[in-house]
Amino acid sequence: MFTAALFLVPVVILLSEGFKVGGEWSLAGYVDFASKPLNQKVFLRTLKLGFLVALTSAIIGYATAYCVVNLEPRHRGRIFGLIVLPLMISPVARTYAWIVILGRTGIVNQFITGTGLSDTPVRFLFTETAVFLGLLQLFMPLMIISLISSMENLPKDAIAAARVLGANWFQVFTRVILPLTKEGLVMGGTLVFTGSLTAYITPAILGGSKVLMLETLLYQRVNVANDYVSAGIIATILIVMCFGANLVLKRVAQGRSQS
Amino acid sequence: MTQLWLSRLVIFLTLTFLIGPFFIIIFAGLSAGSSLAFPPDGLSLKWYLAVFEVESFRKSFILSMFLAVGGTLTALVLGVPAAYALSRYKLPFGETIKLIVAAPIIVPGIIVGLALLRYLVVPLDFTVTMALFLAHTALVLPYAVRVVSASLQNLRVDMEEAAVLLGCSRLGAFSRVVLPNIQGGILAAFILGFVTSFNQVPVSLFLSGPGVRTLPIDMIAYMEITYDPSVAALSALLAFLSIGIVFVAERFLGFSRYV
Repeated sequence: MFTAALFLVPVVILLSEGFKVGGEWSLAGYVDFASKPLNQKVFLRTLKLGFLVALTSAIIGYATAYCVVNLEPRHRGRIFGLIVLPLMISPVARTYAWIVILGRTGIVNQFITGTGLSDTPVRFLFTETAVFLGLLQLFMPLMIISLISSMENLPKDAIAAARVLGANWFQVFTRVILPLTKEGLVMGGTLVFTGSLTAYITPAILGGSKVLMLETLLYQRVNVANDYVSAGIIATILIVMCFGANLVLKRVAQGRSQS
Repeated sequence: MTQLWLSRLVIFLTLTFLIGPFFIIIFAGLSAGSSLAFPPDGLSLKWYLAVFEVESFRKSFILSMFLAVGGTLTALVLGVPAAYALSRYKLPFGETIKLIVAAPIIVPGIIVGLALLRYLVVPLDFTVTMALFLAHTALVLPYAVRVVSASLQNLRVDMEEAAVLLGCSRLGAFSRVVLPNIQGGILAAFILGFVTSFNQVPVSLFLSGPGVRTLPIDMIAYMEITYDPSVAALSALLAFLSIGIVFVAERFLGFSRYV
């Protein structure tokens, strides 16, 4: 109990630091922070990547979860285990694999130069694409697991019934599957989105200083510039976004079930 | 029939995306050449052996092990009574306490690390190891409380009451009736805590000092300056370690029941 309480105090002090400029309480730090183009870019990029990763993993997650649920129980457990497996492995190891795949002499570039698509290796590392792929691989299992567990409660007859009544697959998805599994979607979405926002390793290794995200920007501000005002502001933004994502998604879930 | 093949294909593709990178790491580590490449230039185990020769890897491995084992044990010593109190008695502010305990998970790790460093470690002049130890303990605590709570909920209060009625003291009932019955939960919490702590990067990022680094952070630092397959080999070894632990746990305990 004490250990946990011991944690909150320093975090709160850190957050308050963003509101102080030259020892006085003010919002000037925020105004200053928001006016810098780099900060705006990093902020928007973090939001964009978090959103894209959540969206993509939802699309792939639905397809995979649907297929897994329809497997024989015998295989289902095994496949489920394989999906969970990556979660147990060090994120450093998981991210490192992408260097081997996307690097200058990596697999993708060997293919590209080998087949003559391009004479010079294409740069994938330190691009948003690399960070996107890394994050997607890191967090997709969470989405798939949430979706599988909510799809297991979905009565199979419901889909069949909708088909018999003349719904096409798109309608089945939007009218039957989506409303009945939205809890899983909301939970998976929150986990993936907040996970992507607060990931450090992936943007640090795959993005470097070219593709900064809020977390890596925070690290840089502190270690390179000793700028604790910015650090406090970024910390506040991150925490607000995480809690905000939670609330919004919860609201969405409740709103839909009422209508 | 086509549907069956389609669904297998979807699962196959998803799993390839999620797990494929590990195979690449394993093979990249087997390279006989001196730079990272896939497919490797000839096969050899030399990088797998070289990993053990790197002094800083050895040191940081020992530190990470110490943090993971020590931190998790401490978290359990604090967490088991806490979980017991939370699930058996209606405490005032019970919900608030639960929230505070969960805080280190919700708040992004890098912020926790920075806050601790600046407002606790520096003012109170903790050693680096001590700071890391505290941080890892607090980080694992929420998992310990949650997993142990879950297994306490499956244990009927009657059993304890019976022991007390039969003349056992409260403490005796706890150690002789409750503890043996939640053994599985405690072990599951230990494994989960161990894996979490061992793979932890963001919290330790700021707290690590000169010469005292956890293994994942050491790996990141190493891969920034060198481009040889040893990190791939080490990643593969760590992946095997995690998988092995989880596999053994699943085999003997049905680990997934608790998480």
